[in-house]
Formats: sequence, C-alpha cells, structure tokens
Amino acid sequence: MTNNRGRIRTLFRHSFIALGLLSAFASYATTPETAELTPCYTKGLPDRLMCGSVEQPLSAKDNNEKISIHFAVIPAIKQVHPSEAILAFAGGPGQSAIEVAAVFARVLRYAREDRDIILVDQRGTGKSTLLQCDMDPLEAQFAFNDDALPIFEYSRAETQKCKTKLNTNLSHFTTVAAASDFEAVRLALGYQKLHLFGASYGTRIAQEYMRRYPQAVASATLDGVVPMQQSLVAIGEAIDDSLQAIFTDCADTTDCSQQYPQLEQQYQTLLTKLEVQPASVQIPHPRTHRSISLVLTQNKVRSAIRMALYSHTTRALVPLAISEANRENYLPLVGLMGSDTAFGSLAMGMHSAIVCGEDWPALTAEERARFSATYFGRMMIESLDASCPIWQVDAVEKSFYQPLTTEIPTLLLSGGLDPATPPEWAELAMVNMEHARHLIAAEATHGVAAQSCADKLVAEFIDHGELKTLDASCLDKTAVRRYFMNPNGPVLVKEEP
Amino acid sequence: MMKQVNILFKKEMLDAYRDKRSVMAGLYYAFGAPIVMCLLFSVLLQQMASPEALKITISGAERAPNLVQYLDSVDISHSDEADTKPIRLEIDDAYPQDMATGRSATVVIVADKSDSKLIKSVRRLETALLRYNSEVAGLRLVARGIDPGLMRALDVQTQDQATPDAKGGLFLGIVTLSIIIAVFYSAMNLGIDTSAGERERNSLALLLSHPLSSMQIVLAKVAAIATFSVLGLALVLIVSKFAYAMVAWEQLGFSITLDLRFIVVSLIIGIPIALMSASMLIFVSFMAKSFKEAQSYVTMVLMVPVGLSMMTSYDIATETIQWLPIAAQQYAMIELIKGNALPLAPLAVASVSTLALFGLFTYLSSRMLKSEKVVFGL
Repeated sequence: MTNNRGRIRTLFRHSFIALGLLSAFASYATTPETAELTPCYTKGLPDRLMCGSVEQPLSAKDNNEKISIHFAVIPAIKQVHPSEAILAFAGGPGQSAIEVAAVFARVLRYAREDRDIILVDQRGTGKSTLLQCDMDPLEAQFAFNDDALPIFEYSRAETQKCKTKLNTNLSHFTTVAAASDFEAVRLALGYQKLHLFGASYGTRIAQEYMRRYPQAVASATLDGVVPMQQSLVAIGEAIDDSLQAIFTDCADTTDCSQQYPQLEQQYQTLLTKLEVQPASVQIPHPRTHRSISLVLTQNKVRSAIRMALYSHTTRALVPLAISEANRENYLPLVGLMGSDTAFGSLAMGMHSAIVCGEDWPALTAEERARFSATYFGRMMIESLDASCPIWQVDAVEKSFYQPLTTEIPTLLLSGGLDPATPPEWAELAMVNMEHARHLIAAEATHGVAAQSCADKLVAEFIDHGELKTLDASCLDKTAVRRYFMNPNGPVLVKEEP
Repeated sequence: MMKQVNILFKKEMLDAYRDKRSVMAGLYYAFGAPIVMCLLFSVLLQQMASPEALKITISGAERAPNLVQYLDSVDISHSDEADTKPIRLEIDDAYPQDMATGRSATVVIVADKSDSKLIKSVRRLETALLRYNSEVAGLRLVARGIDPGLMRALDVQTQDQATPDAKGGLFLGIVTLSIIIAVFYSAMNLGIDTSAGERERNSLALLLSHPLSSMQIVLAKVAAIATFSVLGLALVLIVSKFAYAMVAWEQLGFSITLDLRFIVVSLIIGIPIALMSASMLIFVSFMAKSFKEAQSYVTMVLMVPVGLSMMTSYDIATETIQWLPIAAQQYAMIELIKGNALPLAPLAVASVSTLALFGLFTYLSSRMLKSEKVVFGL
C-alpha cells in the first residue's frame, strides 16, 4: 500500500500540469507491482533493469529470522502482456540468475519482445545470502596433488572448513524451501501468470514450482532437463557419452583421424600414465605468464576435458589437447583448465544444500553401484559420502522424487551431445506430463536455447502456448565446429619450411 | 460582453459545421497522418531489418569449410537463387595456408555500402566475421595455455539509462511532429474561410454593422477555430495511439507507447498552441486581399511552426530551441513518451509566450478590422 502511494508521488512529479486529472487515471498508469523497484545494471547487459527484494522467512517452521530474496526485472521491449512475465531459473545449482542476466536476455530475446523477464537470486546464491566456500587461487589449484589423498579425506577437510565459515543450517536452502520465494516475488510484482524457463538444475526448481503453484503457470520450457526422480549423480554416463562422440567423430573424419590417430587409446594411455605417476612440470601462468608449477593428475585431466565438453568451441580443442598431452606438451590442457571459471561463480554452499538434501540421501545400493561404473559418478558419490554427513541437510520428503504430474503446456529441450542432461532424462521427466513435447537438437550440448534456433521456438511457444505447431526442423542446423588440427586452427596443411 | 462573444462563437461553430468540406479537409489530416506514418514506418522497419536467412555469394568456400559452417550456423549462407543479396564474400587463395601457419587469413566483403537496404545485412556479416575471428583467436591462445581473457585489456561495460520507450530516437521526433502539426492543419481551411472567406462572401461587413466590438468578433472566431484545432488534436492522438501500437518497433529493440497520460497532457499543452494558431490564421488571412491569397500566405507562414517542430525532431540546436513555442511543447511530449520528467521550466516559458503571441495576433486582427481597407479587401 505504501509503495502504491510512492508510485503516485512519482507520477505527481512527472505530470505536474495534469494534476487535476491525476486521480482519474492514476490506476491506469500504475503497473501492478507493490515491491519497491530501483534501476540497476548487471555485467554484460547495457539495458536498465529494475531491481528489488522481498523479505521471506528463513525457516518454514519459525518465522523469526528473515532472508532477503533479491530479484531483477528485464523490462519487455514492448509491454503487450502486462499481467504476464517470464520467470527464468538459473542452473548449477548455485548460479546467480541476476549475474547471468546477459545470458538470459540473449537466449530469451525474442520472448522478451513483449513480456518482462524476472530473474530471482535463489536463496543461497548471488545477493540472496550468498553461501560461498573459499576457493584456492589458481596457483594453489595447479600445484596441488589431488591424487596424494583419497578424495574422501580431501572432501571432508574442505567441507569442514566451509561449514565453519558459513555457520548456517543448509536445510533452509533446498529446492523446496526456495520455491515459495519465487511465488512471493511473483505476488510482489503483481503478475497473474508466469511462463517458466529453466535451464539445467533450473528445470528442477521450475518443476517444483509447477507442482506447488500450478495456477500461476501459463507455460514451462525446460532446457536440459533434470527429472524429479533422477539424481544429479547419474551425470557420469552423459559425460562419457559426450566425450565418446568426439572420439567416434574424429575417427570418422579423414583430417582428424590422420592428425590424431586412435584418439581414444591416446586418452586412455595418458590417463593410465598419470594414474601411475602424476606429471610435475613448470608452466607459464595462463594470465601472468610467471612460471608456476603444475602437478597434472588423472583427475585434473578428466575435469578439464569434462568442462571443455560443454561448448562447441572448446570441444574443437579436445583432440589437440589429448594428443599434445601425450607428447608431454600440457599447455593446451592448461588453457582448458585456466579458462575454467564456470565453477568459480557457483555458490558451493547452496550447491551442497541441494545435492545433500535431494541427490544424495535417496541413493539406493543399486543406484550407487550403477553410477559408480563411471569415473565421475564414483568421484561424486565418494565426495558426497564425505561432505553430506558434515553438512547435515535434512533429507527431502519422498514425494519430492515423484515425476511431475501436470496439465501445463511444457516444452522440453535436449541436446544430443549434452555432457550433463542427456535426452533420456527429459523422457523420464515427461512421463506424467499431459501436454508436453520433447525436442532434441542432435548436435547441441548443454543449454539448447543458447546454441540453436530454439530461442525462437521458445518465444513462439510462449506466445501461442501451442506445442504441436512448433516447427522443430531448424534444430537440425549444426553449431558444431571443426577440430583444431594444430594450435592455429582447423586447417590441416603442411607447415612452412 | 462574454455573452455576445458566446453567441457569435455559436454562430461560427454552426457556420463551420455546415461547411463540411473545410471540416473534412482538416480532419482528413488528423485521421490520415498517423495511418500513413504507421504504414511508412512498417515498410521502413522491414527494409532496415536483415532477413532471417541471409543469402550471399561466397567464393572460394572450399578453402574455409569451418568458416562457412560457422556462417551457416548463424543463418548466413551461399546461394545462387534470385533472392541472394548483392553481397560477395571472397575467400583468399592463401586462406588455408595462412590459417594453418597463424598468419591473418584474408576474406574480402564486396558490397555497396551506400545501399541503405543492404546496410543491415552487411553489418550482420561483418559482426559474424568478427565473432568468428575472436573465437578462433581465443582458441589459439587456449591451445598455448593462455587465458583468452587477456585479449580484453578493458572490460567496457555500458549502462544505458534509456528505457525501451526512450530508444525510439528520430522516430519519436517524427511521431510527435505529426501530432503537433495536426493542431495547425486541422483548422487551417476553417481559419481562412471564417476570415478571408467571410469577407469575400460580403458577410463580414454585415457582422461589423452589429453593435459588437471588433475584438469580440475576433475572439469568437479564434475560439471557434481553436475548438476545431483541439478536436483535430484529440483525434490525431487517439488514432496515433492505436496506429503506432501496431508497428513492430520491438524488432528494433524499442517501442513507442502513447498512453492515456500522454494523451491528456498533450491535449492540455496543446490548448495554448491551438489559440495561437487560430489567432495567427485569422491575422494572416485578413492581411491577404483575397481567399486565394490567404491560402498561399497561410501555407507560407505555417512553415515557421513546422520548421520549429522539425528542428526538435531532428535534434538540431535543442538547447536554445527547446525554450521556444511549439518546440518546447513537442520536446515535452517526447520526454513524456520516454517516461522522463516533464521539462517544466521550458514548457512554462513557452506556454506563456505562446499565449502572448495569441494575445498579440488577436489584438492586431481586431485593430485591422477597424480599417476599411481590410474589411473590404482593398
């Protein structure tokens, strides 16, 4: 109410002359929000956003402690549907939606033409009580021999350190706890209907929101789908498949198979060699160029290659990096490790809250055995077994793992090369969805809307709510890059004498 | 005195209403201008946009398969069909050798950059090539163990304070120009008819023979003309509101929304302009010796307010101009659409001077009506 008065005061200042008529159209000019909004900006996006926050109880049980949930609204270019907005959920878990506003503005640029986009920093991320653990500087990460200790020991020590730093009960930061924050933001902004757009982990919170507040949702787009009944720990297989696709592809291409023969074996040789004895070398720092030491272990190689699988541009370097590392030139791998800042921006405390509350406690013995068949599955289970008992996050209710039953029109997007959420996951998620369509971009990686024409399809779907009429043929268009044949580019020719 | 002016005003209104042709001529503008503008803008926007799938001629494609594949992924591809844009991308003979050995590989864009229909497509090609360039350059650094972020010595962040409604630029100027001009044009014929016309029909002398002061006559005529001006303004505002809402501005990243607040404020600030315009029309028409002459004089004199308005639209010398009548009001309208605060000081000054001009023209006209030369057009 007070805020409404503030609005009218602003109007007063702007239209001094129209004073007498003011009361007659004040209600018309007032947008439906009741939250106090101030202009703000985020990195990489020149547009003026409107930022605000709502106070929410920290705990569902006692209302004493409050948490500020911060949000930003990217205004529609032409406000055609003032009662509707697009609510975009960030991934991770642990990513700040507001920090990546530029990405959402690009991916949803067609949808934004006539609707606002709401970005909320989920509790524990960004401005909403960031739960971040201390990260070692790059030099220390490079020099550290992560093979010297079992991952279990290492993870336990790290977790204990972070728990002391954060000193908070992570049970307040789970998906279920966060869903009501998003609803509070919707009510504060006065939108009647939302179109959800979730990417990666964002699809899980989107599904939870749909389950709890179906009346507020007009449509949902899930890009890189995490089914409710699936643990994130299952990711190992997708990573292996996505890398395998490069090996197969390289073997099938004349240039690549000529330049990097038997790439898969080369990779295995490299890993085996490092498993026996990690390589210890001096390399120039990726930014300062000062000489620093690098202990290259099997785990570091696997992690660098894993991160490279996410984008077509870095995928182009994978054969070169493996082949060079086999010849003991580790610089291409260092390049892939050095540009690995994606995890730096994840709120690891909040990440742990989600994973320990939702992905770890319900793992059955059968699942543990199945997921441990892959390297990353094994690593994750080991590290969660170490950290989760320390964090002591309350396990989520069993009903949380039920696949979402809904009538809301839902568009599911998957990339055939996705190293995180493969197309099978989307099929699992949609078993009980009445109006759902699953589109697969065969050659896309993680996040289909950002790397194909799906951005247009999403806008069309939001505008018409119609799934059947979407023409998905454009998803066949490839964004794949050719592999680098040498450090200069994808062209294979003899070097100048 | 007011009663007599009132009776006379009613007579003028009845006269005007009966003269359907003048009324319609005026209202045609109010109706037609926004619709014509709206169509023009739509065609213009279409021309300025680059087609979804941009087809160009690529020669030597076989030398740079990765580049061609990249361009294709952003919907720029080679074609021999009729709808191919006259843009040619020539890939140098030495491209593979240069690329493999880390020299700059040459590609040439051949296009006529003065062709305004082409410029957006050429820019799109240039941008795509720049992106490819930095992508490959970045990967070259990664392959050498160097953080490609090093190439960005400055992280330049822009914080644009404009709202989508404020980014219309020149379009905003043209939209408000067409609205302001409606005040003058919608009552132009009427103004000439009620003064020079009345004189030619010899009914002016009859009017003057009544026990009325010439000031009363002029005031009643001005009031009638101004009423039609304001009606024209109201009409143009309402038609504009709906017409401009249909233009797909959002494709260019902005919108022009005329809300109720804009309409009400524009009507209020338009009233002094309507009075000034009416008194000026009468003054100029009486200056002329005949109806025909009045028509050409009025057309010439109207160049002044139109010129002022154009200068605001095209943003020439705004600092000084924005204090002058017409320009200040139009500037205020632009700010209103942008969602900014009204420039109250210039608006007040200009409104007062607009009313002063109305007073001056009215006084001069009433003086003129005392002269036989004017009354009988001698």
